[in-house]
Parts: sequence; structure tokens; C-alpha cells
Amino acid sequence: MTQTVPGPAAVRRPRRLPEEIGVIVALLVMMTVIGVARPRFINPLNLLTILGHTTFLGMLAVGMVFLLAIREIDLSVGWIFNFSAVFTALMMVAGVNPWVCGAAGIAFGALLGLINGLLVVTLRLPAIIVTLGTFSMFQGLSLVVNNSRAVVPPNQESGYFTAISAKLFGVLPVPAAVFLVLAVAMHLILHRTRFGYRVQAVGSNPEAAELAGISNAVVRLQTLVLMGAICGLSGAMYVGFRGAIDPNEGSDFVLMVVAAVIIGGTPLSGGAGTVIGAVIGTLIIQVISSGLIFFGIDATWSTFVTGAVIVLAVSLDQVVKWQRTRRARRGAALSK
Amino acid sequence: MADTPLIAVQGLAKRYGGVVALDNMNLSVTPGTIHAVVGENGAGKSTLMKVLAGAVRPDSGSIVLDGQTVTIDSPNAARRRGIGIVYQELSLFPQRSVLANLFVNREPTRGGFVSVSAMAAQSRDLLDRLGLHVDVHAPVSRLSIGEQQLVELCRVLLEEPRLLILDEPNSALNKRETERLFAVLQLLRARGNTMLYVSHRLEEVFAISDRVTITRNGRDVLTRDRAALTIPEVIEGMIGVQHEVLFPPPLPPRSERPEARIEVSGLGNDVLQDISFTARSGEVVGLAGLEGSGVANLLAVLFGTERARTGRVAFPDGRGLPKHPTDAARRGVCLVPADRRRNGLMLEKSILFNISQVVVGTQRGGLPWFSQKQALARANRQIDSLRIKARSAYSLANELSGGNQQKVVVGKWLEIAPRVFLLDDPTRGVDVGAKREIYGLIRQLSADGGIVLFSSTELPELIGLCDRILVLYQGRLAGELAGQNIDSRTLLHLINTAELPTARGAAEAPEYDVSGASEPDER
Repeated sequence: MTQTVPGPAAVRRPRRLPEEIGVIVALLVMMTVIGVARPRFINPLNLLTILGHTTFLGMLAVGMVFLLAIREIDLSVGWIFNFSAVFTALMMVAGVNPWVCGAAGIAFGALLGLINGLLVVTLRLPAIIVTLGTFSMFQGLSLVVNNSRAVVPPNQESGYFTAISAKLFGVLPVPAAVFLVLAVAMHLILHRTRFGYRVQAVGSNPEAAELAGISNAVVRLQTLVLMGAICGLSGAMYVGFRGAIDPNEGSDFVLMVVAAVIIGGTPLSGGAGTVIGAVIGTLIIQVISSGLIFFGIDATWSTFVTGAVIVLAVSLDQVVKWQRTRRARRGAALSK
Repeated sequence: MADTPLIAVQGLAKRYGGVVALDNMNLSVTPGTIHAVVGENGAGKSTLMKVLAGAVRPDSGSIVLDGQTVTIDSPNAARRRGIGIVYQELSLFPQRSVLANLFVNREPTRGGFVSVSAMAAQSRDLLDRLGLHVDVHAPVSRLSIGEQQLVELCRVLLEEPRLLILDEPNSALNKRETERLFAVLQLLRARGNTMLYVSHRLEEVFAISDRVTITRNGRDVLTRDRAALTIPEVIEGMIGVQHEVLFPPPLPPRSERPEARIEVSGLGNDVLQDISFTARSGEVVGLAGLEGSGVANLLAVLFGTERARTGRVAFPDGRGLPKHPTDAARRGVCLVPADRRRNGLMLEKSILFNISQVVVGTQRGGLPWFSQKQALARANRQIDSLRIKARSAYSLANELSGGNQQKVVVGKWLEIAPRVFLLDDPTRGVDVGAKREIYGLIRQLSADGGIVLFSSTELPELIGLCDRILVLYQGRLAGELAGQNIDSRTLLHLINTAELPTARGAAEAPEYDVSGASEPDER
């Protein structure tokens, strides 16, 4: 949406920076501050490790942008991630080709998303309510099938594991590369495809969307399935990357995911979203927690600091909005 | 008319619960004409249009398009058949860009991706013709309401419908924008397009339409060529019975209460500039002005929802402006908001709940318990005294007609016996009968020692009811009309130009006014 079009229709077009500039600057400032105090932090290898760590959570954040854009929140993402990973790992234990297992994990995530979606659409309930329930359902089922123990797939020398734990060009972890590709793809989908336009239309004004012939139900369903599939992808890759899935991995994802999306600048009011912002938001959260370690502060503080950053980010956003409306009002008053 | 009609509607009926919206509605539209549908609020105009647009399904009746009976069961089906509609309420996507709005759900793509440049190219021509020079990449929420309405119109026109339905398309347009809209409509007619034009502003209907259908109580009363109709005939058809006396005369003030007054001097903020006036009990003071002239802001400042930056105000209790609505309510200042569904009522709650709101929500002292018994007593008291038509005090506000809803809003305030009444367009969307009752009520409040500030978008109402009218123009007090000086031509001129008409200007009455001065003068 940054294309400039010459001609009379564009007369009042002011030059605008991309919306994400704020969070990008915030991230760079943070990294500079930490880097000046602890130069080791800026080491590219360390930064790439940070990127690698954020991958699995970051993928979910990228999907969550779409949900916030339709004024919904999926609380069950952490357990879809976990359950899909467990499913993938158990299939591997059963002796199925790991690549097939990976693909099946993605499909399984999509299936869980479909369950969420069907409940949301048929009951006409907000996703936050439905997924509050499926959060525990998926958790419970996952714990039942893995007997509350870590699932460790056998023969980890197979191509699946080596491919996923490899590093592209010797530096970039494969999951991080997949994450970045996914982010770019989702950015394009949101801003450059008709599906993305429909998603934002439904979030912006559901009644008007319905009158324009866009089925809210279909868009909700599609978005929740997409979210599930992304959780499945993240889970399947996690198994390949770590070689195991712990019974509680993913349990704390959802709040961080939503936090990352909101820090990135996606409004809760729907109708808009920024995938790039969500990626930066994820990185900010990760930089905080690893930055604290570099400063020798106890890692338990990172949760508090993350929370503080969320509050700070939304307050800044709000202050900027107030100033903008005040300026607009002034302008309107002066122009008389 | 030998032509087969483009679209014909026969015996259409639609009920919502117990409310009959359409009852044997018939309509036949000749190709290449502008066909106006007029009627009071609640006559069924909008429902009829929604049926044609596929947004509402009728209970019975048939729609014949090009001689073939069709069912239009979704907005998409209507669109496929070449029916486009501009809704009365904006149905835009506020956060989305102008282009995204214009091409919603039919975005042009190039190589699988939505092409912003194609959207810009395809819409530039029409935007120009509509005089809409805005940043097409900016969210529509940044545009003025008038511009938004043009975006909405542009969106439908881009679909090049064979039948274009306009449901009060210019309620938010100023005079220049309305003229431009009409020019576009005339151009479309010249090209052979067919339009259905719904409005309650009769002057406009007469200016633009070829044929007129009058509706009342969900039925079509009369269809005739415009040339064979006069405005008084149309009004008679819309109302049914002869115009009764709508406006009650001033009542003699009750002597036991001393005169109270609000004195405003030099009031100003972002919108308002140097507003000074005095309003006394026993009179009804009208506030008139175009959209954005500051009338709504003035009322908001007096109620404490907006701040004043300069000026002094003395309320009857000797203190200044209320700091916030709670303060206002505690000091006997009440506001009946223009948008009662959004700002006046809890729609999903009962009359009982709504009536007790102000008492329970703002008054100090008393027990912390909510007494169902007292609440019921309050509700029944107001239902009786205001003659609210409802099955019981437990009926939901949503189930009431517009007029009865407004009575609930007034009733909840009467429970705290306010001294100052700020009435922001209290008869909007209210039927004639209820209007008359509300006028009577306003007179009563005033005679009982209340200070009444009454704003309205309908001139006959201001002229008929008010003792004095203050006219605001671009945030300033443009003038005041009182007694003999109040007539529609002077008022209209003052509202639109901030100047009193000169003798020469008197000859040329404005062609389209902004405020729906459709009914004849009561004076």
C-alpha cells in the first residue's frame, strides 16, 4: 500500500514513513544500548541465535496478526503448536517417514484450527471464548497421548532432522529462514491479496463486509484454519530442530504471541495489521530476555520487563493517537 | 409508459416480530428514469430498498426483473443482477484506504496480487467527476462525512449497476456536494441508467426525479409522474390525514418557581468562538446550524463532555460549567442526545433498567442496593406520564418504536427533575404522532420552570416550537431570530450564509437546502 500514484486523485498525498518505523527504531535503540554496554551482544552469531530462538513463537505471532485484524484472538495457539508437535513426534515413533510426519503435523494443526473455526462459526461466538475452551481441550488431549512425558523420535540422523537443524550459508538457522519466508509471504497475503483485503474488511466493519458480499463466517473460518496450519508448521519444525517435544512446551506462548503482535503495532480494534511489526515485536521480546542475561540480571525479571514494554508500547501508541486527533482538530479549527 | 418496467415489485410483505415494515408494497420502475420513493420515517422505504438489494428477505411477494420473476437472496445476488445500493448509514471500512473501500470484494489483481495502481487508474475518472480530491491511499476515517458518502456512492457507481438505489444519499452532504451528486445522477440518467431515489426532502425529490411513489405504513399509496404532483399533495399522501396542529402554543409559566437562567459569555474552544447568550426558564430556545457549525459542540460543552477554553458560563445554581456528565446530572442538567440508539439507551436492557439509569448512576446518598421495587415504580410512573407504548416495564428498549425510545430517554432524566434540558435533535427518526407529543412535552417542561435548549435539523420544527432561535455558523453565533422575525426563508439564509437576507436576495430561495425543510410552514 505504499505505491504512489500520480494524478489528480493523489493531490493531498503527504509523504508517509511506513507505520512500522517506530518499532524498528525501538528495536535498534534497544540493541544499541545493550551493544554499547556489552559489545559481545552485537556479535552476529549471537544475533542469529536470538533470531533462531524467536522462530517458533514468531511464526505464531505472524498468524495472530490475521486474527487481530478480524477482531479475534486465538488463545489456543500454544497448545495447537504443542499438540501438532506431539502428533508429529508420535508418528515418527511409529516409524513413518519423518518428512511425511512433518507434513502431517501441519495438516493436524490446520485440523485443530478448523475445529476452532467451526465452533466459532456455527455457535457465532467470539474466538476468544471458543479457544478458551479448546486451549484446555488441546492441552488435555496432548497430555493424554504423550503420557505427560517428552516424546523423542528415534533415528534423528535422518534427513528431516539434519535439514532443519542445518544453517544456511553456515550461519542462518533453517527455522529462522523459514520464519522469514513465512513472514514475507504473510505480509504479501495481508496487503496484496484479495484474501488479505477481505480479512481487513471483515475486521474493519463486519456488517458492511457482509453487505459487500463477503461472508464473515468464511473469512473467520479461513483465518482460524490458517492460524492452525501455522501452529502445525511451527510444531513440526520444532520437533525437527530440538529432536524432542516436552509436554509443556508452548504452554506460555499465547501471551507472548499476542504481546509481540501488539508491540508491533497491530490494533486490537481490528481492520488493520502489520506482519512486519509482529516480527519486530517478537524480536523485541527476545532481545529483552537475552539482553537481561547479558546484563547479568536474573532471567526471572524478563517476564516483568516484557510486560512493562507492552504497557509502554500501547501507552506511546495512545499518546501518538491523541496528539494526532488534537492536531487534526486544531487544523480543522484554523482552516475556518 | 409502454416500456416494460426494469423492475417491478408486487405485494411485498415483511414483518419484524410484531412490527409490520412492509405490507403489500408495489412498485414499478421504468428504465432510464429517476424514480423517487418518499414517505415518513417507518413507511417502509428503507426496508423495500434492502429487499431489492438482497440484504433483507421478504416474507411474501414477488420481484420481477426484466419480465422475469427473480429471488434476490443475498447482496451478491443483487449485484450479479445489476442492482447497486448506496445505504443510508455509511457502510464503509474506516481503517481501510479509499481504494480498498471502492473495490471491496472485487479488487483487480495482477499476477495474483491486488493491484493498487489498477484500482487507482480505474477510479480516478469517477472520483474526479464526483469532485472527490482526496488521498486515495489514506484510510477513509480521515475523510469528512460528506466525502465518505461520496466514496460510498463512487463504490457503487464503479460496479456500473443497471438499477442504482440511493437511500437518502445526501443526508450528510453540503449544498455543493449535493449539487455535484445531482449532476452525476442526471448524467447517469442521460446514459440510460435507472435510479431509485429515497428521500424525505421533498424539494430535492422534485428537483431530481421523474416519477414519485408515496409510501405510508408499508404500502404504496400513490405513484405518479412528478410533473403531475405538488409538494402539498405529496405531504398529504405521506401523512394520510390532514396536517393537524403539530406545535402547541406556549403555556403560561407556573408562578411558584422563580425564573432561572443560564448566562453564557465569550464561550470558545477548538470549534466554538465567542458564544454569548442567555436562556431563561419558560422559553424554548432553538439552536440551528449546519452539520459542523458547532451546535452539537455547544450542547456537549454545556453538558460537560467537551471542554471550553475561554468564556464564562453561569448555570441556575450559580456555578459554572459541569466538569463531566456525572456533575451535570447531579446539578440537574440533562442531555437528550441526537443518536439515541448509541448514546441514549441500553438497547438490550428493559425500560425499567433504562429509566433508573440516571438516578442510580449519578445520585449521591441512599442505600447501595438496587431496589427492583423502586425501579419498577419509576418505570411505571414514566410509562404513564409520558404515555410510553410498551407491553410492560420489562420490555426491552430495542423493541420500542423510535418515538417511544425517545420518551424513555427523556423519562430517565425526568426522574431526577432536571432544571436544564439540552435536547439535541430529539425528534430524529420519530413518527409524526410521537413528534407532536414530544413538542407538547417540551412546552410543559419549559412552563414548569425548565430551561430548554432545543437543536434540530428540521426547520419547521424550530420555527414552530421555539420562542427564539440562535443560529451558529462555523462555530460563531451568526444571529438570533425572535418572535415575528422567525420565518423559514430568513432562518435558512442565516443558517447557510451567516447573514440576514437582504431585500434583493429574498427573491432567490435556495434550491436545495441542507436541513430538510420539507414540510410547509406552520406560521
